[in-house]
Amino acid sequence: MKEEARERAAEVETERSRALLYGLLSRLLAAPPDAQLLRQLSRLEGDETAIGTALAGLAAAAQRLSAAAVREEYEALFVGLGRGELLPYASWYLTGFLYERPLAELRAELGRLGIVRREGNPEPEDHIASVLEVMAGLADGRFGRVDLTLQKRFFERHLDSWGVRFFADLAQARAADFYREVAKLGRVLLEIERVAFAMVD
Amino acid sequence: MEREMQGQSRKRREFLKLAGLGAVAGAAAVVGAKQEVRAEEVAGRRRAGYQLSEHVRRVYELARF
Repeated sequence: MKEEARERAAEVETERSRALLYGLLSRLLAAPPDAQLLRQLSRLEGDETAIGTALAGLAAAAQRLSAAAVREEYEALFVGLGRGELLPYASWYLTGFLYERPLAELRAELGRLGIVRREGNPEPEDHIASVLEVMAGLADGRFGRVDLTLQKRFFERHLDSWGVRFFADLAQARAADFYREVAKLGRVLLEIERVAFAMVD
Repeated sequence: MEREMQGQSRKRREFLKLAGLGAVAGAAAVVGAKQEVRAEEVAGRRRAGYQLSEHVRRVYELARF
């Protein structure tokens, strides 16, 4: 019985860790970190694991850069109109156009899950930050019961199909510095998740 | 069947732990503090419409080309 309780606690902790990382990535891709968040990131401690190494890289970048510099970087990457600008939308990555079928499919899926876009949010739902936020919610049970098969399906259809290419582009973007570390964390999380989901029916 | 499922889930958990996803205590503190500000809310607040309309315009230009 005690063993079972320990197992259960470890399981909860693992799923919570996944949700936290999805949440952190979502937050950083929705908007640049303010000074307080950057300070908190700078105190992250890594270890020798794949995730730990990526977190240490993020912490080092947070120590080195000011919030103003990261904001400028964010705007150059996602808001500016320069050539290095990225379009962080599933539809763009999968079809070369915005508002195409991948967005419609995502909307249908969100409808089935009962997730709606916050009022006043002008971004289409296939923005990378939204997709990551949905993964965080599916992992921590924010939207109801935790269902790994459902998470696997959502991951494969709506994130893994383009997320890896997006993070590769972000890592190589001219303006990326802090966000290169964000991209590394994103890529490593997706790679780990892909292997872990292969162990789920 | 139940036992198989448990074995499978333990294997997955062990893999996640090795990869560093057993417990990310540090990240927990960071994200936990920010839990109030949810991504979509943040996205909704920033430069409403501007970014999107510019993107759409650019895509149309590309399409025309």
